[in-house]
Amino acid sequence: MSTSANESVPGLKQKKVFKIIVLGDSGVGKTCLTFRFCEGQFLDKSEATIGVDFRERTIKIRNEDIKLQLWDTAGQERFRKSMVQHYYRNVHAVVIVYDITKPETFHSIASWMQEIESHGLMGAPRVLVGNKCDCGTPESRLATTYAQRLADKYGMPLFETSALLDSECDNVESIFMTLAHKLYSKQPLRVISVEGELGPRRVTLSRQKRPLRNDTCLCS
Amino acid sequence: MDSYDSDPDSGDKCNLNGDCSPLPDKLPNDLNHTKNIDDIATPSELNFDQEFAFEDPEITEKKKEIEACLENPDVINVDQWETFAKTKAGLISDEYRRKIWPLLVGVTQDELTEPPSLDELSTHPEYNQVVLDVNRSLKRFPPGIPYEQRVALQDQLTVLILRVIIKHPHLKYYQGYHDVAITLLLVCGDRASFPLLCRLSYGPKAPLAPFMQLTMQPTQHLLNYMLPVIRRADDRLAECLDKSGVGTMFALPWYLTWFGHSLNRYSDVVRLYDYFLCAPPLFPVYVTAAIVLHRAPQVFSCDADMAMMHCLLSRLPDDLPFEDILVVAQKLYEKNDPTDLESEVAALERREEEQRKVEDERMRRRRAGRVVPSPSLPYRLARYLPAPLRRTPRRTLLALTAAILAVYVYYKPELFR
Ligand SMILES: Nc1nc2c(ncn2[C@@H]2O[C@H](COP(=O)(O)OP(=O)(O)O)[C@@H](O)[C@H]2O)c(=O)[nH]1
Ligand SMILES: [Mg+2]
Repeated sequence: MSTSANESVPGLKQKKVFKIIVLGDSGVGKTCLTFRFCEGQFLDKSEATIGVDFRERTIKIRNEDIKLQLWDTAGQERFRKSMVQHYYRNVHAVVIVYDITKPETFHSIASWMQEIESHGLMGAPRVLVGNKCDCGTPESRLATTYAQRLADKYGMPLFETSALLDSECDNVESIFMTLAHKLYSKQPLRVISVEGELGPRRVTLSRQKRPLRNDTCLCS
Repeated sequence: MDSYDSDPDSGDKCNLNGDCSPLPDKLPNDLNHTKNIDDIATPSELNFDQEFAFEDPEITEKKKEIEACLENPDVINVDQWETFAKTKAGLISDEYRRKIWPLLVGVTQDELTEPPSLDELSTHPEYNQVVLDVNRSLKRFPPGIPYEQRVALQDQLTVLILRVIIKHPHLKYYQGYHDVAITLLLVCGDRASFPLLCRLSYGPKAPLAPFMQLTMQPTQHLLNYMLPVIRRADDRLAECLDKSGVGTMFALPWYLTWFGHSLNRYSDVVRLYDYFLCAPPLFPVYVTAAIVLHRAPQVFSCDADMAMMHCLLSRLPDDLPFEDILVVAQKLYEKNDPTDLESEVAALERREEEQRKVEDERMRRRRAGRVVPSPSLPYRLARYLPAPLRRTPRRTLLALTAAILAVYVYYKPELFR
């Protein structure tokens, strides 16, 4: 798939790509959050996502350019079953979003976790995001302690934020940066695919979480 | 940000603001390049119709013919409306469309009934999802529309959608259905768009019916006709798409919404609807193929990477020459009837199924959290050898697998990258 890796000029470093899938019920703000991160502003004419949408942004970690690919998915159940499946392939990290003003979107987290698990992504870095903290009254919002308990149960960090508020911009930033740093620190454990004429050179690793060949995109 | 997202053709902002790609210098009467919705910003002007500074004489002539037919619509054969709808510029203006769209699908006067009120429908289980999507459909309304009027139209839109799925309870709402519904509503009004949308949604040949089943499987199957159509016209292009692993997802919103969701120009959308309303149900897939063929040069210069390809293809440029694309799509349809393509589609789906199995296997191992030491390549390949051969001496085996490997790599180089 990654022909680019084979055509790379020796000595010229290829950008690393981290793929992140964004999940959660319809209307929780997945599209607005990815837009906020990639474009730095609130998407005021958001539209329903049909199938899968894609955004990306290049960030720097320790002076190295890293491409973050965000796969923004449709929340409606019917798209999940057959169509979005394909996009779980080669995903490195997961963002699950709920709407803190809509408890039912919080209760769906369990089924999203199942979905992640069925795709073997429990070992991947994951974060939980409660969006729309600008909305509602303190009483009508889902209590942080409650959300934190669930996040702890699943072993993932919790962020409460808003895609709408400019003041929350840094917070949105840190959601994705947290994942990027995790992936960055994880990756020396992964296979570095070396462009060779004879197919992939294999590197034996002691703590490899995923089958080798499919991780090449991380480093291509 | 040095990503290709900053490319004016593919940038997300293009879709949102609609005006970041340079407008091509074209004659104002070139029907392939009509005005962008966002350029029509006079607050009082609530339709999208553009006045041409100077009208193509051919179009002036066609208008006269359409008007003559509309004088006495009862004696006009549906073939005549279809000809108008399919030939250059389609039905030209919304004023004609409002009258002719219902005739194209055979809606009769007595089907035009008063819609129920929104309150009566708000207990429907799909109500929330529909409202959510309708509330996010701002981009589809004429720019400058007064707030009250827009909200009223959005309520009508919700009612329209719910009415159809209440009348036909086995039909399931999908995100994107609202994009079709709003196009009909804006053109035909709430009374006529209900029977119109029913015709499109229910029945053996209803074009939207496959999208409204329990799963998206039927839709996916139909979209799979795209690649074989492309392959027959341009083998190299099909190969390029195949190699990138881009699949058909980029075209899903096109097909599900008849491009309503994906095009910035209202005039392009209604022009396509003119055609689709009287074309075979699979025709939009051929238009999809024609668009990809039209964009072949960009596809060839794109990296063979799924994400890049998806990004490139899913963002439609504002200046697609739809009149030409429709002509090409029609030719593709005539040359490659869906029934002719069935075996190719079946082969493609078999291949996908096999890939999926490999993927499932991989996932199972991932889930088990086991470290899967991948066996050395000759041994992996040896597994595919017939049993008696496997017991041959090691050296022979190595030589043999090396030979097989060489042949395999030759045919399937992408597997070894
Ligand atoms: N108040 C508020 N509204 C938001 C926020 N994020 C998204 N929205 C709105 O919620 C609706 C759904 O957002 P969207 O990103 O399309 O949801 P998705 O279906 O998860 O992609 C839209 O109308 C947005 O304008 C937020 O942080 N605060
Ligand atoms: Mg979305």
